[in-house]
Amino acid sequence: MSTLEALQRQFQAHLLRGDPAIEARVSGSERVPVDTRLGIYRGAYVSRLAEALAANYPALALLLGEDEFGALAQEYVRGHDSPFFSIRYYGDQLPQFLATHEEYVGAPILAELARWEWTMTLVFDAADAPALTHEHLQHIAPERWAQLRFDWHPSVQRLGLHWNVPQTWQALLAGAPRPAASVAESATPWLLWRQGLTSYYRSVAAAEAEVLDAARSGWPFGELCTRLCEAVGEAEAARQAASLLRTWVEAGLITATV
Amino acid sequence: MRPARPFPMLTRPPLGFGLGLRVDHYEAILAGSPPVDWFEVLTENYLVGGGKPLHYLTRIRERYPVAMHGVSLSIGSSAPLDRAYLKAVRSLADRIEPAWISDHLCWTGIAGRNTHDLLPLPYTEEALAHVAARVREVQDVLGRRILLENVSSYVSFHDSRLSEWEFLAELAARADCLILLDVNNIYVSAVNHGFDPLTYLHAVPAERVQQIHLAGHEDHGDYLVDTHDHPVPDPVWRLYAAALRHVGPVSTMIERDDHIPPLEELCAELGEARRLAARTLGEPQRRTALSA
Repeated sequence: MSTLEALQRQFQAHLLRGDPAIEARVSGSERVPVDTRLGIYRGAYVSRLAEALAANYPALALLLGEDEFGALAQEYVRGHDSPFFSIRYYGDQLPQFLATHEEYVGAPILAELARWEWTMTLVFDAADAPALTHEHLQHIAPERWAQLRFDWHPSVQRLGLHWNVPQTWQALLAGAPRPAASVAESATPWLLWRQGLTSYYRSVAAAEAEVLDAARSGWPFGELCTRLCEAVGEAEAARQAASLLRTWVEAGLITATV
Repeated sequence: MRPARPFPMLTRPPLGFGLGLRVDHYEAILAGSPPVDWFEVLTENYLVGGGKPLHYLTRIRERYPVAMHGVSLSIGSSAPLDRAYLKAVRSLADRIEPAWISDHLCWTGIAGRNTHDLLPLPYTEEALAHVAARVREVQDVLGRRILLENVSSYVSFHDSRLSEWEFLAELAARADCLILLDVNNIYVSAVNHGFDPLTYLHAVPAERVQQIHLAGHEDHGDYLVDTHDHPVPDPVWRLYAAALRHVGPVSTMIERDDHIPPLEELCAELGEARRLAARTLGEPQRRTALSA
């Protein structure tokens, strides 16, 4: 190991874990002793990552308040180093952390809110892609439809949430009165996406969620219709399939047919 | 008198007076024509798939020259260069055609970790050889000379055998790279380590300084912390004037990272930089945006 690498390992171990070995290699002065100097870096490390968490989870920060969110951030930073070249991606494990940490496991809405907010960040800066038009669909030869598959906009995300998280999130960010936390027995399916520069979300009926998930995992249109047939009968299936497709195209969820 | 520049010029002609591009100002920039000659963007903020960040960057780039300023190159780290990061930087550069690309003379992490801080190096021959080789490698990948910025620091290492300014000058010569001189960082480090900022400044190879950063800091009594969240204070203005006398006309920008005021306020501060440069160099500095 080079002298440079040894020094850098010690310095980083000090920032991340408080390892004291680096202290012997640092010059201090009477006015500003070594510990004060290193302390500037230790403090900046934690506060920078905590700020990144607050930026990615603004509603969670509002819900918990400054002190509690600060404590959460400290605890998270202690256990989660950043492997990312951009600090924008720091905090990806926070939903899982909240779902399993003994301090927070008793308030499961927190983990769901975090999952929602993280997903929102993914929607926000996902890659751009031109949406498919209705006109494009009109020019597809009838014999191709059964095997037709779709490419999806990179921003499209699906979540299942037990708690009234989107309503809570919206109220928190708008500074409006927060609805009482409520939980449903089964998860509500949510669809999140971006059209142009605007992020959207809506709840989807169980039947739509099932077909949408199947379509996104690559099922051809014919198979989607068969699945709908089993659920709603042959007469209704064709109408529903066409209607769903129209809705998805309208919202810019589909970018190409394959 | 403007100092004579050696020929051929290593640096490109000054772009004038710029600001760091901040999200809060996107709409104001596009709605009006603020008296800003160019913008510096934080590279990592735009290494994303798409959406608003790249949309606004593209629109602003259509109107202004833009320089890319990174914080994650970690040029001084003993960990291998992050090829995926470099590829992403190159790809952004191909897309927006920046006037130049800069990062910091520091390291940010090792062993797969990023501390997201600009950590100081020991100023040794070993580190110098290591960093110079990496700068050359990065320049090969990016297809251009890069600018490295001096960081502010709070510690120095017993290992160091060179001063920071000797290290910087020697690195720039060995790696054939350019310099982004942060005048505030020189001042902060000078106070924290007890050296004369003019000693530092005068050792900087003027012909390699392509850009100057101006910023403020936080005074903790016994030491200064580089917060980049305050207006430029008097000692930094004075050092900027000295830097101009040393370097000559040079692209200058105000870098505000936190407590970001309205655009007009920063433009007014930028006006101070213009006037100071005109007084110091004896001629009005460029006022209008150039097409890069």
